[in-house]
Parts: sequence; structure tokens; C-alpha cells
Amino acid sequence: MMTYIVFILSVIFVVSFVGFSSKPSPIYGGLVLIVSGGVGCGIIMNFGGSFLGLMVFLIYLGGMLVVFGYTTAMATEQYPEVWVSNTTVMGVFLLGLLMEVMLVLYVLKSEEVGVVFKFSGMGDWAIYDTGDSGVFSEEIMGVAALYSYGAWVVIVTGWSLFVGVLVILEVTRGD
Amino acid sequence: MNPLIFTTILMTVLLGTMIVMMSSHWLMIWIGFEMNLLAIIPILMKKYNPRTMEASTKYFLTQATASMLLMMAIIINLMHSGQWTITKVFNPTASIIMTSALAMKLGLTPFHFWVPEVTQGISLTSGLILLTWQKLAPMSILYQISPSINLNILLTMAVLSILVGGWGGLNQTQLRKIMAYSSIAHMGWMTAVLVYSPTLTMLNMLIYIMMTLTMFMLFIQSSSTTTLSLSHTWNKTPLTTTLILITLLSMGGLPPLSGFMPKWMIIQELTKNSSIILPTLMAIMALLNLYFYMRLTYSTSLTMFPSTNNMKMKWQFETKQITLLPPLIVMSSLLLPLTPMLSILD
Repeated sequence: MMTYIVFILSVIFVVSFVGFSSKPSPIYGGLVLIVSGGVGCGIIMNFGGSFLGLMVFLIYLGGMLVVFGYTTAMATEQYPEVWVSNTTVMGVFLLGLLMEVMLVLYVLKSEEVGVVFKFSGMGDWAIYDTGDSGVFSEEIMGVAALYSYGAWVVIVTGWSLFVGVLVILEVTRGD
Repeated sequence: MNPLIFTTILMTVLLGTMIVMMSSHWLMIWIGFEMNLLAIIPILMKKYNPRTMEASTKYFLTQATASMLLMMAIIINLMHSGQWTITKVFNPTASIIMTSALAMKLGLTPFHFWVPEVTQGISLTSGLILLTWQKLAPMSILYQISPSINLNILLTMAVLSILVGGWGGLNQTQLRKIMAYSSIAHMGWMTAVLVYSPTLTMLNMLIYIMMTLTMFMLFIQSSSTTTLSLSHTWNKTPLTTTLILITLLSMGGLPPLSGFMPKWMIIQELTKNSSIILPTLMAIMALLNLYFYMRLTYSTSLTMFPSTNNMKMKWQFETKQITLLPPLIVMSSLLLPLTPMLSILD
């Protein structure tokens, strides 16, 4: 099982995306988003990116999702929609699950899968190397490169975040 | 809005488009698109009524979907070519998805449904920015990936856009919706010639922006958003009725006005590439556009449109002085003799 852990985690990832795409109440969407965030962290860690995985937990789940949860809790309604409460939501959820199950069976059974990109069955899902160039971990070097060669990216993303806050304040000001 | 905040947000819109146009890394281009989208939302929502909020929401949803499609195409391209530069899109799937995403951003058929609704819901100045500045960034990316675009998809979308732009505008009396459908049709003309000669796309974009700027500024000056209120300009500023006539005929593509230049060049380029039926169809469908421009000129400048006597005295604050208007009017009507200069766009 550990050989195919990335495949299993990816399947759980897609299932939790189906879970919130079928539009239950946002609180329940946040719940499966936590699951998907944790699973995504696991996928990244299997490729050797321990720093980025923990970043997902810290910033995404621990920062952004917490704020999202608070704002949703303020705006929630008396009887929020669960996946089983509404026929439409349940139908879409089951349809998404069905499609995922069919895709998993297709991957497991056939030798070569070519949907958008080709990969040859289950063999391509197993991780052989973590992408290390031997001495340094590739992923930490990427983070270091972001702050040295990629200074322009940091400036642009920092400015985007700042303007994002300005935009949100401007839009919600209401007068 | 606080002027400082407004300036910051407007500068971010400009910065976003500049980043898109100047980057060679796909990720930076995507970041530029997102920055542009994020910052233009409060500009669209300058007045706080439900109509502008609905229009901004529609704009945000469609453009965010287009950005997501673009990101997927970028990642597929990355997987098949292993590099992030924009010069060539190596995979046909990625190219098709990219073309669809950029068509959604431009408002080409079949992704044109948001253009009239969003343009109608926002103020005239915001509509101006929406229909002119926001077209620059996607068009520059289409220009850069033009060698690898699938011709069939692009030509289908272009011809359908010209058709929808012509037909859709026929039943409209609201000026902003008319300008939106005109924008759809002009985008169709621009993308039709993209694969054959991207220079002509840029020429058409230039002339289109000048003409649309002129039209919107004429509307802003007379504060008119419907055909009926435009038909009262003869009372307030009679000169603008003539200018509206000239500019609208230029938009319709009549010689000897400058709006004829891009259409002429595009038809010539298409026939040079041995496609005869296509430019014929496009020229015929441009007549639909011309019809509703003519209807506007009929009610505005050619006749004194019937209205009750108390509506004839158009009340507004003191006349707005738009400094840029006279040069724009001159440029959008008299540029035809300068056609040989389009070689500077190469």
C-alpha cells in the first residue's frame, strides 16, 4: 500500500473536492476542505516537500480556512444543507463519486491511460526518487530561489495581496 | 471612493495588464491576469446598487473561470514541454484550452453572454475601461501564442462572434448594450485574422480602442445611456450630433473613415490566403452592425426624434469638458490615408 500512497491520497483528494463542489452549506464545504488540505499536504510530502506540506497546514488550513470558518459561522443559516438533505446535492455528490470510481477502475485495470496525458497504469504513480539532486533538497532550493532570483515574484504577489485587502475593504464598505 | 485608494486600485489594474504584456513566464502572466481582475472589481462597483454588484459578480465569475482554464492549459503545456516560456505552446490540447480561456476573457462567442449584461450594469466610465483596457491583456497573449493556435476553433469563434455581435445588437436601445455587442463583433474581426497576420489584429485593436473611446466619451459628455436620451443632444450640444454621426459611421466600417482601414486590411489578408467565402460572410455580417449604428445616427443626428415637449429641454449640470475628445474624434475618423504606416506595428 505504501507504494501506491500517492494514488490513494490523490483519490481522497478528488473525492473531497467532489464533496464541496456539490455545494452543501459552506461550513461542510470547509470541513472537506480541511480533509483535502491535509491529504494534499500528504501528497506534497511524498515528493519530498516537507516544508511546503507543513506550509499548507499552517497558512492554508490554520490561517485562511480558520478565517473562512469564522465568517461562514457569522453568515450561517438555521438549517444548513448537508449532502443528504437535498436531493440535488446528494445526486451531484453521488455522480461525482461514481465518476471517480470509474476512473480509478480504469486506471487500475488498463495498461496505459491516456486522458489528457499518458501514464502507463499504476507504475507511474509510485515514487522512485524525491527529486533530490543528491546534496540539497530540491524543494528548499526552490523556496530559497524565490527570495533571491524570484524577488520580482515576491514583490508582485505581495502587492497583489495588499491590493486584495484594499479591494475587499472597498467592496464591503457599501457606501 | 477615497481618491488615494482609487488611484492605487486603478494603478493596479494598469500594473496587472503591464505584467501580462511584458512577462515571458506563464505563471507571471497568470498572476497579472488575476491582479487585473481583482483590482477592477471595485472600479466596476463604483456605485453601490444591486445592478453593479450583480454585474461585478458576473464579471468576476466568468473571468475567474477563464483564469482557471488558462492555468490548466499552462500546466498541461508544462507537463509536455517542461518549460514555462511563452514562445510556443507545444501541445494541441493546451493550445485549445488556452484559446478557449482567452476567448472567455475577451468575450468571444460562445462565451459572450457576460459582455452585454456586465456592460449594462455598470456606469459609463467603468464600461469604457471594461471594453477597451481589459481587451489589451488577453489579446497580447493571443498575439504571442498565435503560431500554435488551432485555426478551426479560432475562426469558428470569430465568425460566430461577428454574427452574434451583429444580430444581438439589433434589438437594443440601451447604449451600453449596443457598445457591448459592437465589442463582441470587433473582437470577432480581430481574432479572425490573428493566425494569418497578427499585425492586423493589433491595427484593428488600435482603431477599435480609439473609436470606442470616442463613442463612450461622447455618451459621457451628454450623460446619455439610452437611445432616447441620446436623441436629445441636438438641443444641448448640437455639434456632438454630427460627431456622433461621423464616429458611428466609422465604427460601422465605412470608407473614407478610419474604421474602414482594419476591415479592408483584414479582408485583403484573408483573400490573399485563398479564403474567399469567409471574408465575404464577415463583410455581409458587418452590415448588421452598420444597421444599428445607422439607427442610432437616424434618431440622433438625422432626425429630430419625437418626444414630449418637456423632455426637449435636457437638464444637466454644466457641460463636461473632456479634453481628450477632439483629438480622439479626429483620429477615429480621418486616419484612413495613413494606412501605409501600419507597418510600424510589426
